Amino acid sequence: MTQRREFLARLAAAAIAAGLPAHGLADSDRGGTTAGRTGSTPLALPNTGLAGRVVVVGGGMAGASVAKFLRLWGGANVKVTIVERQPRYISNILSNLVLTDTVTMASLQFEYATLKSAYGIEVVQGTALAADPAGGRLTVATATGPRNLDFDRLVVAPGIDFEYPAGLETPAARAAIVHAWQAGPETLTLRSQIRAMPVGGVFVMTVPATPFRCPPGPYERACVVADWLKRNRPGSKVIVLDANPAIAAERTSFERAFSVTHAGIIQYVPNAPVDFVDVGTRTIHTPMGAFRGDAVNVIPTNIGPALLRDLGIANAPRGFAAVNVLDYQSTATDRIHVIGDSSSTTQPKAGHIGNQEGKVCADAILRAFGGGLPDPSPVTNSSCYSPITLSTASWLSAVFAYDPLTKTMQIVPGASGEATRANSEHFKDMQVWFGTLMRDTFA
Amino acid sequence: MKKILVVTLAALGTTGALAQQTQAPPPGRLLASNCFQCHGTDGKGSGTFESLAGKSSSEIYNELREMKAENKRGEIMTIHAVGYTDAQLRAIADYFARQR
Repeated sequence: MTQRREFLARLAAAAIAAGLPAHGLADSDRGGTTAGRTGSTPLALPNTGLAGRVVVVGGGMAGASVAKFLRLWGGANVKVTIVERQPRYISNILSNLVLTDTVTMASLQFEYATLKSAYGIEVVQGTALAADPAGGRLTVATATGPRNLDFDRLVVAPGIDFEYPAGLETPAARAAIVHAWQAGPETLTLRSQIRAMPVGGVFVMTVPATPFRCPPGPYERACVVADWLKRNRPGSKVIVLDANPAIAAERTSFERAFSVTHAGIIQYVPNAPVDFVDVGTRTIHTPMGAFRGDAVNVIPTNIGPALLRDLGIANAPRGFAAVNVLDYQSTATDRIHVIGDSSSTTQPKAGHIGNQEGKVCADAILRAFGGGLPDPSPVTNSSCYSPITLSTASWLSAVFAYDPLTKTMQIVPGASGEATRANSEHFKDMQVWFGTLMRDTFA
Repeated sequence: MKKILVVTLAALGTTGALAQQTQAPPPGRLLASNCFQCHGTDGKGSGTFESLAGKSSSEIYNELREMKAENKRGEIMTIHAVGYTDAQLRAIADYFARQR
C-alpha cells in the first residue's frame, strides 16, 4: 500500500515535471485537421442492449479506433473515455515527407473533435498514473489535478518509448541528435538539420533492431531524404546504419531503391548497431566503423512505455505487453487490454494494423459485455504505402488469421507481398489510403 | 419497425456490464472492418478507394473470387482476396450489401 502511494506520488511528480498540458508544435498552424465527417452532429447511436464503461489510454491509431468502434458498434450505453497527453494526434504515417517539404505538418494533425461530438467519446487530456484493475479505477493526472476514472475494461495503447544509446543520455544530447520517430517537434528539428547540410554533405541515420514501429519507415526515410538531397544538395550521401543483418521490411523494393533508384547516394551498412554517439563531432560508432555526418539521425531501440511496467503488464521482451490476440487482453492481468505498438504479437507495429487491432478489441469487449466470448477466428491486415522518391511509392501488405495451435496471428499462406515497382500511381494511392485510414480512425 | 425495436430494447433496460447480450454482432462485421481502412467505415464515404456500401453481394463476392483465382502478382487487392476463405468473402460481401 505504501509502495503504491509512493508510486503514485512519484508519477504525479513526473507528470508535473513533464509540464502538462503537453506542448504543441512551434510552427503549427492547425490547418488541415479533422479530415472526414463534416460537421459534428452527434450520431444517433442505438441502444444495442449492451452497456459498460471503457477507458482507453492513448489516442493514437489503435486507441482512437477502439474508442470509435466501441461507440459505433456498442451503442448509446457503452461509455468510452480516451486519456491522452497531447491535445491532438500527429500522424507518424507520411511524416518522413515533412522532412522533404512534400507534405505539411498541419496536414498530419488530427483533432479529437469528431470523436467527441459525433461519437460522444469523452477525451481527457492527461497522463495515466496507476490503475486498479480489480476495482476498475484509473487515476489520471490532469492540468487541474488528479482524476479517477471508473471502468469495466481498460484498453492501453500508449505506443512506444525509446532506449537511448550511449552518448544520448542527457536532454541536451537528445535535443542535438533527434530520432523523429514520434512525429512532432523532432520531425521539424530533423527537417532543419537536413536543410542546413552543405552541398556534398553526409546524412547518417540508424535503424534499430527489430521489432520497431513502422518496419519500412527507416528505409523509406533514407529514400526520401536521398531524393531531396539529390535535388537540393547535389553530391550528398546518405549512410544507413542498420542494427539488423538485412533490410527488415519490403526488402525487394528497398534493395532496388538503394542500388538502382538512389545508386551512388545511399550507402547501406548492415550489422551496424550503435555503440556510441559522439554528439560533439556528430559521429556514430558501430562495430562496422565510425561514421560522421553533417546531419545525424539516431532511431533508438524501441521499448514498451513505462506505463506498461507500472501496470505490471510489461511481460514480453523489451518491456512490451504479451496479449491474447483473440481479445488483446493482457496475459498478466484481466480486464486490461493492450493494442497497437505496445503489444507484443506476431503482427507489425504500425498504424494501419493498429486500427484493426482496435476493431478486434472493441468487438471482443462488446461480446464480453453481452456475456459472450471473443470471435474465435479473427482476421487482421497490415497495409502500408512507402514513398521511394518524392513522387513515387511502393506498398506492402499482409493478411493475418488466428492460428489456434500457436494461439498467434499468422500470415495466411499466399496473402502477403509488396509492389513489383515503385511508381507515381502508388504515390497517388498512398494519399487516398492515408486519407481514408485517418477518417476510419478519427472521423 | 426499427423504431419499435429500439423503443422495446430501451424499455427492457440494461444494468451494467453484466447485461445479457440482446443481439449478436452482425455476421461479417468484424471481417468486413478490415476493408474500412481503404474503402471507408462501412464502405461509405467519398475520396476512398471503390465505395462498397450498398453494392450487390454477388458483385462484391464475384469480384473478390476473381481476384483470388487470378492471383496476379503485384496487385494489392489480390493479397486481400487470397487472405480470406470463400465463406469469409461471402460474409464480407453480404455485410457491405446491407449497408445503406
